[in-house]
Amino acid sequence: MNTREILTLQFGHYSNFVGSHWWNVQELGFEYNTNTDNPSEINHDVFYREGQTNKREVTYTPRLLLTDLKGSLKSLPQQGYLYDPPVDPNKFETCWHSEVAIEEEEKIAKNEYQKEIDNPAEPKIEYNLEDSVDVWSDFLYARFHPRTVNVINEYQHESEETPFNIFPVGQKLWETDYFKEDYADKIRSNVEECDNFQGFQILLDANDAFGGLAMSCMEYICDEYENKSIFALPLIPSYYKDYSYTTEEESRKSGVNDQMRLINLGLCYNMLIENSSVFVPLSTSGVGWKTSSQPRSFNHVNYKPESWYHSSAILASALDTFTLKYRLKNTCYSLSDFAVDLTPYGRKATAASICLPFSLNTGGYLIDCLDNWEGPLTQSITPNCTIGSSRLMQLYTLRGVGANQLKKPSSVAGKQLDMPAYRCNTIDEMLSMYLAYTCHASASNVTSVSKGLQVKKPFPDIFDKRVGRNGNIIADDRNPDMSVQSVPIMTGLHSGSEIGNMIESLHTAMNNIKIARFQQYASAGLEKDEYNECLAKLFDFRELYDDNYVL
Amino acid sequence: MAAISLLNPKAEVARAAQALSVNISAAKGIQDVMKTNLGPRGTMKMLVSGAGDIKITKDGNVLLHEMQIQHPTASLIARASTAQDDMTGDGTTSTVLVIGELLKQADSYIADGLHPRLITEGFDKARAKTLEVLESIKIPIEINKEGLLDVATTSLRTKVHHNLADVLADVCVEAILAIRRDDKPVDLHMVELMEMQHKTATDTQLVKGLVMDHGARHPDMPKRLENAYILTCNVSMEYEKSEVNSGFFYKTAEEREKLVAAEREFIEQRVKKVIELKKKLCTGNGKNFVVINQKGIDPMSLDMLAKEGIMALRRAKRRNMERLALACGGIALNHFDDIQESQLGFAGLVYEHVLGENKYTFVEECKNPQSVTILMKGPNKHTLTQIKDAVRDGLRACNNAIEDKALIPGAGAFEITAYKALTAFKDTVKGKSRLGVAAYAEALLVIPKVLATNSGFDAQDTIVKLQEESRLSDVPVGLDLASGEPIIPKDNGIFDNYIVKKQIINSCSVIASNLLLVDEIMRAGMSSLKG
Repeated sequence: MNTREILTLQFGHYSNFVGSHWWNVQELGFEYNTNTDNPSEINHDVFYREGQTNKREVTYTPRLLLTDLKGSLKSLPQQGYLYDPPVDPNKFETCWHSEVAIEEEEKIAKNEYQKEIDNPAEPKIEYNLEDSVDVWSDFLYARFHPRTVNVINEYQHESEETPFNIFPVGQKLWETDYFKEDYADKIRSNVEECDNFQGFQILLDANDAFGGLAMSCMEYICDEYENKSIFALPLIPSYYKDYSYTTEEESRKSGVNDQMRLINLGLCYNMLIENSSVFVPLSTSGVGWKTSSQPRSFNHVNYKPESWYHSSAILASALDTFTLKYRLKNTCYSLSDFAVDLTPYGRKATAASICLPFSLNTGGYLIDCLDNWEGPLTQSITPNCTIGSSRLMQLYTLRGVGANQLKKPSSVAGKQLDMPAYRCNTIDEMLSMYLAYTCHASASNVTSVSKGLQVKKPFPDIFDKRVGRNGNIIADDRNPDMSVQSVPIMTGLHSGSEIGNMIESLHTAMNNIKIARFQQYASAGLEKDEYNECLAKLFDFRELYDDNYVL
Repeated sequence: MAAISLLNPKAEVARAAQALSVNISAAKGIQDVMKTNLGPRGTMKMLVSGAGDIKITKDGNVLLHEMQIQHPTASLIARASTAQDDMTGDGTTSTVLVIGELLKQADSYIADGLHPRLITEGFDKARAKTLEVLESIKIPIEINKEGLLDVATTSLRTKVHHNLADVLADVCVEAILAIRRDDKPVDLHMVELMEMQHKTATDTQLVKGLVMDHGARHPDMPKRLENAYILTCNVSMEYEKSEVNSGFFYKTAEEREKLVAAEREFIEQRVKKVIELKKKLCTGNGKNFVVINQKGIDPMSLDMLAKEGIMALRRAKRRNMERLALACGGIALNHFDDIQESQLGFAGLVYEHVLGENKYTFVEECKNPQSVTILMKGPNKHTLTQIKDAVRDGLRACNNAIEDKALIPGAGAFEITAYKALTAFKDTVKGKSRLGVAAYAEALLVIPKVLATNSGFDAQDTIVKLQEESRLSDVPVGLDLASGEPIIPKDNGIFDNYIVKKQIINSCSVIASNLLLVDEIMRAGMSSLKG
């Protein structure tokens, strides 16, 4: 089967956090030994490209374009490390006869983790990666192609003076000549080298101006690459700096910011409905647009919701798992099939859920595990959305449970023999059966991969003590010297009527905002009528999820 | 108490004299940063980011974009300067210098108690007079190579090294002349700028045809063809799934393959049409066939084309479709229904050049190309960026000259002449606004002064010399940066664009007047929804 390539676009700082984790876990999962008994089930060529530097060194880098603001890269040079060696400004040969004034910003030192990647041979210094992560490039293991990183020079990262937080500002930025031309050309070069290009995955920060930028880019893609699928993942960070206010003044400011984020989110959803093939909002926060919203908690996971490094890792593991569906070696399932199956009746918004780690006891079997399972298999990571259990189109992916963990061999099966599920011979079969019994009037599809998710460094250490080295649940606490290497994980994507409630609550919240009070939007070109139109469209979209129209 | 503070007690306010001094110091600050870069002898700036990214430039506009300007007044000036660049492509540093100097001059009068309003009135009168001077000294030109070369060289020498500037100026002028048709306005988009990280900057050259940054994606396709028909089209030649309601629950790989085969049939028909045409036109006459498609071409279609010896490129830039039609004739097709020879273009030579993982396709030896490519070369990324910025400005300078059909003597000659005219004019102005005229005249001198300083001469000495010379001479006098002595710029081939100067005069006067009339600066914003 030919490789059908996908290009990934990342817009915004949080998206890049999630993206960095995602590329890291993929690269840590690479198998370099080609003649093993069980070669990788994943076709990495879907997301990766092979290249060659001018020195004829072979490179293998993600098909990726990412965008961030000036100053957000810290120690990572825009061109990356692979193709051009860094230039020493003091030894630089100039082609200018008079003097050259060097304006040097303070050099940003790499953290210990990055140094370790550069010189793996050097003796290791003890360090805590957790404390040294400030931006995503600090824990980036993957190495990028020079054209991957795009920096927006007009706006400074975390600037108080000129924040990049108004949706229409992002749309305007796309329209500037040099940005659009440059970016569009990079998309084109990436697509040109693909033989069977099938579509785009877009990760975007949905509640600041990056949403606007991404939406304008998406409009362009729809226009230029018709018939290609677009899988959009609007991301909502779990935490903002202004959440931890101390004074009343700061609390009010945070409230204002919240409302602006909500407006951006609504405008973004509105465009996603129109231009994407399918979109899945992701966040570890419960509501997604309120300071006061509760962060979600996950079994056997201790994470700090205020750390982007942590919360993005959870989202990245979900992302890496549910995208397996269309990048396995033995499948002909394409991104467009994926989009069509998940969006019946034009329900383009879809919810995602996760079970990390998929809690299987050490030495236990899936059959028993499912038999004793209480409640839903997975837990929602789509903000302000519950999954429900009936009338769903759903797609489950389980990885990290091997065929030998399915059931006991018949000679020693004992009580298992009495279970109806014992006749299932594959994981897919058994899970499908389980889902058929538990979800009413639903269509479920299951994919499974035997190898677990790689959670070695730089993945944060977020698992509790009951999670063993291979991710299974152990009876006693894990030896503190040992770290978790890989975990089984299950994700689900669900399209059902509950998502309508998410759209409705967003609509209600937006309806309460007096847009005229936010003059920034008016001055950036958003008119009141447009806003009302957007509200009306969200309301119409909501109706698609009403079950009385279908079945 | 400012009225706003009654309404919003948290607003920060700066008033009257204080407001003015805030504006003036901001203008001075940004002027100081840019000052050293003016003119061919100004210094280069190398900007090194914390991660080691390098940017080398001398271009005022590039610098302004790179600097994070936080001060509101400074960013206002920066925006005026960016607007200058958008309009004309040159004169950004001058804009910043002149605005700063106008404010500085005005400041000393205001300190003596003169009302800013009177100064701005003076500025306005002086501006009108300066424009008259500008009209009087403009030199009409013939649009030919010599005429344009001077202005391109002058503009480029302020941006890159002399040797390189001469190469680039030549390339720019040739490019403009190649695409210019009679008296129609020139569309600069029809000059493609292509970068190649290779060799040195002075290897930059003009290709009278088109260079594309991709090549044929099939190993058996020819790498070099002579006498080739060029088919440009926007027709998909790749299999795309058309059915909408798939449903993954019950599809086997076999069923699927069958479906694919049926769908492919449709695409194959398209490819066959191209092959048919190729066979009809190129059999036995030594001619060849190239397909350049804006849409995709999948491996199976590529294979069919390769078997026929056709070179095929996929996913060409949208703009290249237009350029190809202009460079080698023919029209870009949207379907193959009625495909004919007359719709094809023709090129004498099409070949591929491989550089690391990048492929380049050259379409050359076109008859009468109306679209050309400037192939920029350089050993590293920052050199290429620098050349690209310079080439853009060089093209704009030529284009401006064509549109104005006139040039202005450079090397500070215009400013000296205007100063002379304004000093005479001042005596005819009644009332205190004549002081504004005087301030304006002084301010213009900042350009020759800074030119002199940057070349290592004493500013006062030079200005005095120039003024004396100017009094005796009828033609405008400028500054020779090599010797520090007065010269006649016209004889030395130093010219500036008319529109650049005109724009500087207009925008600087307006911005400076606006800033002078500001008597209150406040920072107030909505901090809560109730407030």
